[in-house]
Amino acid sequence: MLGFTKGLKYTLKQLTKEKVTYNYPDEPLPLPDRFRGIQKFYPEKCIVCNQCMNICPTECINLTGKKHPDPTKKGKIIDTYDINFEICILCDLCTEVCPTEAIVMTNNFELASYSRDMLFKNLEWLDENDENVRQVNKP
Amino acid sequence: MIRTEEMLLNVGPQHPSTHGVFRLVVKIDGEIITEATPVIGYLHRGTEKLAENLQYTQIIPYTDRMDYLSAMTNNYVICHAVETMMGIQVPERADFLRVMAMELGRIASHLVAWGTYILDLGATSPFIYAFRDREMIINMLNELSGARLTFNYMRVGGVKWDAPEGWVDGVREFVPYLREQLKGYHNLVSGNEIFLDRVKGVGVYSKEDAINYSLSGPNLRSTGVKWDLRKDEPYSIYDRFDFNVVTRDEGDCLARYHVRLEEIEESLKILEQACEQFPAEGEIMAKVPKIIKAPKGEAFVRIESPRGEIGCYISSDGKKEPYRLKFRRPSFYNLQILPKLLVGENIANLIAILGAVDIVLGEVDG
Repeated sequence: MLGFTKGLKYTLKQLTKEKVTYNYPDEPLPLPDRFRGIQKFYPEKCIVCNQCMNICPTECINLTGKKHPDPTKKGKIIDTYDINFEICILCDLCTEVCPTEAIVMTNNFELASYSRDMLFKNLEWLDENDENVRQVNKP
Repeated sequence: MIRTEEMLLNVGPQHPSTHGVFRLVVKIDGEIITEATPVIGYLHRGTEKLAENLQYTQIIPYTDRMDYLSAMTNNYVICHAVETMMGIQVPERADFLRVMAMELGRIASHLVAWGTYILDLGATSPFIYAFRDREMIINMLNELSGARLTFNYMRVGGVKWDAPEGWVDGVREFVPYLREQLKGYHNLVSGNEIFLDRVKGVGVYSKEDAINYSLSGPNLRSTGVKWDLRKDEPYSIYDRFDFNVVTRDEGDCLARYHVRLEEIEESLKILEQACEQFPAEGEIMAKVPKIIKAPKGEAFVRIESPRGEIGCYISSDGKKEPYRLKFRRPSFYNLQILPKLLVGENIANLIAILGAVDIVLGEVDG
């Protein structure tokens, strides 16, 4: 019986301790700056180098570029940019290789939706996802 | 005389005590198990085959998903294998960060093993205490790497991020806290008579059996074999730390339980020393080419994960993707002894024995 009472004593002691749970849906979760959530995309920064598309381990990024509308300027600008969040694993490799920080992580992680199609995010959606953007993106 | 008929009982694949999607077909005669056949593969994702079409850096996030309770050790084994092939010297500071991250992962993994094992045996509250303390580790690793479980933290040649400000102090403060909590764990469970009745002398195997079935980790050390790769084949900077290899001689479920809890204490010792020796400054990445190409040839490395020896074999033909990649996944090997242990046991002991082996199905199925 001794072992049993010892355990009970420990349990009773815990009653006076502070709560450790989060009141999550009502209050936002405290997350560190480095947290890898849904990406934010800056179309004006993108130089269409395709590096994010090539490094993606799950091949969830698709992008196309077009010629710069201003004929005096060289290079391409972004036309479409899609991330398929059905298969994106938020591994952070796309932001790691981006030379202009056109794609960065945010602290947003709520992706649940009623339809699979909703998980297919396009350029406009990723551009508007501009809350809690990660401050430091490169080590 | 009453004649009994043998019955086939299907446990899992969806069953809370199988710790994942693991199916076990048991033949029972009354309450006694006469045959047990594990059925695995429900979580098979073909990591090894996928890796053949991926660059080395791209494989790292896939390894997170094998043993998802201690993803840091999996990150390390693939990086270590490629570094061995390319002859890269990892900077000291990166090595320290790696070791600290791995040891924190080991503690977190053993806490889950401890909590869920007691939960399997019917006690709910220890599980909550284990997860309360594990949450602190998860938060620390989240601050370090940006994810709670799938860290993707290590890179070939170093680590992705340096430690954030005050992180090492956080780890330093955590060590005495968990030591205090461990005493509480022992008070709560280790002496409990019901618990002891359930695990003492249950699921016993001998030293010879353990070696013949190539068990490793706490499953091997619980039979008295003093084998820990951190001591016997030191990798990274483990030779700089003073810690013991925990063993028990009984080889039963209780021995495995004690080995895991004591290993937490040893990991805390390593963490304490690592915090003290942590270099004030330094590089976190070695000089590596932008596109990593392992030279032609093959390499096999092995390290000690919380569940046993995890190995990584790479065969390369000089391209940026491996020609063949193979992981020696300890959970898969540890599981092989299960049918032998279960025969002749009472059906109620099934969960007690399975829980003590401590498998992670992501790793079993690869």
